[in-house]
Amino acid sequence: MNAPARRSSAGIPSRSSARRAAVVVGLYVGCVVAALAVAAALVAMTGGPWRKVLSALLDGSLRNPGRWGTTLLEATPLLIVALGVIVATRAGLVNIGQEGQLAVGAAAATWVAINFSGPIALIGVFIAGFLGGALWAGLAAVLRYWRKVPEVISTLLLVFIAAQFTGWLLSRSFLLMHYEKGVMNQVQTSKQLDPATRVGMIRVAGNSFPWTAVAAVAAAVAVGVLLQRTRWGFRLTMLGHNPRTAQRIGVPIVLAGASALMLSGGLAGAAGAAMLAAGAGGYTFTPGFSNNVGWEGLLVALVARNRPLACIPVAFVFAMLRTGSGFLSSTGVSRSIAEVVRALLVLAMLVPPALLALRERRQGRGIAAVVTIAEPLAVPVQVAQ
Amino acid sequence: MSIVANTFSDVLSSEAIYQSMIRFAVILAFAAVGEWVAERAGTLNISLESFMIGGAYSAAVAYGVWHSIPAALAVGALIGIVVAAVQAWLSHWLTIDQFVVGLTLNILVLGLALFLDTRWAAKTPVPKPTQIPLLHRIPLVGEALFGQPWPMLLIIPLIPLAWWLLFRTRWGLEIRSVGDNPQAADVSGIHVNKRRRQAILFAGACAGLGGGVLVLGQVGINGYEAGHIGLKGIIAIAAVIFGGWTLRGTVIGCLVFGYFFAFQQAKLVDINPQLNASLPYIVALAVTAIFARRTRQPRALAQPFIRGLT
Amino acid sequence: MPDRLDRPSGEGLAPSPGTNNTAVATVELRGVTKRYGSVTACQDVDLTIWPGQIHGILGENGAGKSTLMKMLIGLVRPDHGSILLHGSPRRIHDPQTAADLGIGMVHQHFSLVDTLTVWENVLLGDHHRFDRAAARRQVAETGERYGLQVDPDRVVGDLSAGLRQRVELIKCLRRDPSILILDEPTSVLTPAESEDLFTTLRTVVVGEGRAVALVSHKLAEILHATDEVTIMRQGRVVEHRATAGATAADLAAQMVGRIVSLRDTAAALGATGYTTSRGHRLTEPATDEVLRVEGVTVVRHGVAVLDDLSLTVRAGEIVGVAGVEGNGQRELGDVLSSLVHLDRGRVTVDGVVAHPGRAGDMAKLGVAVIPEDRHDSGCVLTMSVAENLLLDRIGSVCRAGFVRRAELRRRANELIAEFEIYGAGPDAPFSSLSGGNQQKVVLARELSHSPKVLVAAQPTRGLDVGAIEYMSARLRAAAASGIAVLLISTELEEIIDLSDRIVVMSRGTVIGELDRAEATPERLGLLLGGVADETSKLAGGR
Repeated sequence: MNAPARRSSAGIPSRSSARRAAVVVGLYVGCVVAALAVAAALVAMTGGPWRKVLSALLDGSLRNPGRWGTTLLEATPLLIVALGVIVATRAGLVNIGQEGQLAVGAAAATWVAINFSGPIALIGVFIAGFLGGALWAGLAAVLRYWRKVPEVISTLLLVFIAAQFTGWLLSRSFLLMHYEKGVMNQVQTSKQLDPATRVGMIRVAGNSFPWTAVAAVAAAVAVGVLLQRTRWGFRLTMLGHNPRTAQRIGVPIVLAGASALMLSGGLAGAAGAAMLAAGAGGYTFTPGFSNNVGWEGLLVALVARNRPLACIPVAFVFAMLRTGSGFLSSTGVSRSIAEVVRALLVLAMLVPPALLALRERRQGRGIAAVVTIAEPLAVPVQVAQ
Repeated sequence: MSIVANTFSDVLSSEAIYQSMIRFAVILAFAAVGEWVAERAGTLNISLESFMIGGAYSAAVAYGVWHSIPAALAVGALIGIVVAAVQAWLSHWLTIDQFVVGLTLNILVLGLALFLDTRWAAKTPVPKPTQIPLLHRIPLVGEALFGQPWPMLLIIPLIPLAWWLLFRTRWGLEIRSVGDNPQAADVSGIHVNKRRRQAILFAGACAGLGGGVLVLGQVGINGYEAGHIGLKGIIAIAAVIFGGWTLRGTVIGCLVFGYFFAFQQAKLVDINPQLNASLPYIVALAVTAIFARRTRQPRALAQPFIRGLT
Repeated sequence: MPDRLDRPSGEGLAPSPGTNNTAVATVELRGVTKRYGSVTACQDVDLTIWPGQIHGILGENGAGKSTLMKMLIGLVRPDHGSILLHGSPRRIHDPQTAADLGIGMVHQHFSLVDTLTVWENVLLGDHHRFDRAAARRQVAETGERYGLQVDPDRVVGDLSAGLRQRVELIKCLRRDPSILILDEPTSVLTPAESEDLFTTLRTVVVGEGRAVALVSHKLAEILHATDEVTIMRQGRVVEHRATAGATAADLAAQMVGRIVSLRDTAAALGATGYTTSRGHRLTEPATDEVLRVEGVTVVRHGVAVLDDLSLTVRAGEIVGVAGVEGNGQRELGDVLSSLVHLDRGRVTVDGVVAHPGRAGDMAKLGVAVIPEDRHDSGCVLTMSVAENLLLDRIGSVCRAGFVRRAELRRRANELIAEFEIYGAGPDAPFSSLSGGNQQKVVLARELSHSPKVLVAAQPTRGLDVGAIEYMSARLRAAAASGIAVLLISTELEEIIDLSDRIVVMSRGTVIGELDRAEATPERLGLLLGGVADETSKLAGGR
């Protein structure tokens, strides 16, 4: 193995770094194309018309009148959930329970919404959503710091308990179920939101989307700034990368970690509130309200490699899959293909950095790297002494 | 008070509960025994679910094509290995975080199974119970233990096989060392990630087989439904934790969880339906809360290994 | 060949008497080179090891000895050059190949699995049939033959460091190696245990015609135990000679590359016999007690890792905690780093009772710590140098919660200048710094806010001589400025060199205390050795 000695210095011509960048971009593009090709092959294999499928997806998400507005609407909660995921992973925690935190948050938001109305109530709706999600994640935090239960397991189990819990809430009229004398509530839902408590829509070029979409983008920017440039973000990063050092310095591991986990859940809950107030379920809280938004928000963060600004376009793409797949029935292809595409896209975004890290290790450049859920960039560690 | 006592005795004396409990427990055990080996090697596979789904779906499809239960079971185990291979290579060769891969695989495989079902429909037989003469007449537990369809019996040789593999072979010794101290194993000349991958493949085979047994060998299931797996994978992991990473404890854990699933299904006691439905998951939470502090956890559990990153 | 001193003619190159004159070298390295990016670990190394000899490889930390050994056992592959075993060139792909080729290495830390038994560990990595009875028998036989008795059924995690090294040796010897490599083997042993080791090595080498390579940075060890020595400096071989007739001064000069005063650098060089005659202090240390540890007990997994430990440190004095690794030093460091709860006892700093389980409590009371493993609890590798320098003080460069980067950089540059930290600047990743400079960053950070107590755990481990001298000077300066310094180290020479008072720690408690005047290596060695012998007898050796 004759690796030539590299003498790196600051004035080196940008050719090698430009070439490297080209390789990286090419790898990502290649993987995404491969993922889509696999999906297309699957459709073809089952006898479906894959070109029509692609067309239907684009129609449903962008091309047809009013559709991109709907896509923006769908992207909003995905983005908010993804931001919460980033906060948790920065702190070194694995929170995969957003689907449940979102549901509980939405339930809490519903309670406020059906008992109060008006713009002030709307603020209360969002606060309640945040608190609901935060408390649900708080359960996992308690289990983790008091009983050492890995949060990857507890948050996951809590998703399924949340489904049952919210279902129960919907079965009791003193809680959430809508009760009208003489009318049977067949599918247990809540009362519909008063128009005054709904999120206003912005209308542009024949499309309408809620102002929460704009707020979500602003939130993404804010989270990015907070994590990079504030003391809070600094301490969170310390906690995530080296909890023992953090403890020695004086960052209380339990407090900081639990609050990061709860913030993460709170954002998922707020996303649920945003969904409710912007029209999900016809402005009512229904069984199965989460509708996979929690899972997909999690995937958005993974595909965006835990970078808040990157979540914005990724959330939009994932929303395109959601709105687009509604148009698939005309093609005769099962909607599950969208699930498959999502998962393949995640893999497509995770493989390139891992391949690059592997290559660096093989060439023995003295840099070792690990691609983990908590670190989007390679972690350079000196191998030689 | 007497209501509670009556309920209690009802619950304990219902033959149906025991039958149901064994059914659930056996399926859990297929997955849990495999995951036990994988966790002793230091890996944590939340994609256990997907191994089972892959096995279940492919076994059902294979049965529809060949109408042979043994062949279908073999296909199930094989596909379980294939799915496990994806987890194994992505996490322990490319070193992508195993939780991320696990989560993604669950979504991918479920989606695939649902999608492909529209083209290659899964078909399941009406399972015939295999009644072991005499023994199955034992009151209460007779039918449960000795009157199950024959694929369920496959768990019986699997458990001692897993034990033998881990404690009486060189492979097992290396698996254990890789889970407790991969650095030491590495300098001793053992290929750490290769062993970890092999352990995951074993888990895939067991879980895939379990999925196949579920769809082919369970009395009272009307055909295949992908949702049937319903998080048994994560429960199996909880069983391993409950058992303190010992085989005996894992099997007992499966029985405990099996009981709660049976209890939930039988609705013998008049409790709130949502509470009933979430009961096994609440129990799983409680169980991990109580038992996760055990010190017998493999020391390198869920920690990826790269040589040079001590 | 450039940079190599003239070899004494013929001396040191012939095989030792008793072996055939046409014997083939066991191991020969020719022109071996290894680079990591822009760092050259080994450059053009020639090395020949003959059977029947103990061959020492001497060099300070960072000289390239460890990399060389890693290449021999297959953990690393050379970029250029060849390795010949018994005269034929070989490619060593991985540890398995190395073992098959007859190369055995006795590792310090990373080779035994604590949860497995002795016989299971001995079997680990082998090819043959898995046979419990045969393995147990082999452990007993090999133990008998070399004086390395140990009970095959004991769980390795329960054994002392000396016994664990026996298991390591048995693991190697049973594979019938032609060469046995030991990398800094005595750092975990008492002086008595070290002697036993050398005796065992002599048996291995003389009776059976094997070769032994002993890698070390300690002069005393090399002079005492080896037949030939190869000295490495900055990745190159600078000398190769017979040990007989060499003096510590010669070897030291070659090792470091300049004439050194052994008196000043004895500790760094692991040379004994030079450190007892230091001048008196100019100022007597103040008599106020600053750090007081009383009856501290910490229990983990049912074992008392700290057992009723008590010690005090006064302002301006350096108290050295001596002891073989694994006797609770790490846990003591953890307690003083606010990482562990006390089960019993208490710690007071300047009269104020501390709560070591509470995050940052010790730091708040003015206890600065240079931890045993800076990567474990002393730094955040992924952050920049500047961020690591101000890890605990980030608030001081913040305004309204936002970090002011310019201010951060300015403060960092101040510290970099004051502590002479060499690297690519404040924004470079911490991991790009050399070991010595990383340690300086930790030191700079800890000293930068005038602590009352400085705890230095293994502060010079893995550092080159220059860095060692720097750290020692800094520790002395800290004491002179009134800080109470607690030095925890397994290197006896360092303890003797720096401490005013010495306490000896064993099994989590203090078993002896000496003033510097009374402390000689022999006395300390006896203290350590006496207890250790007893414990090893009780621990199951036959």
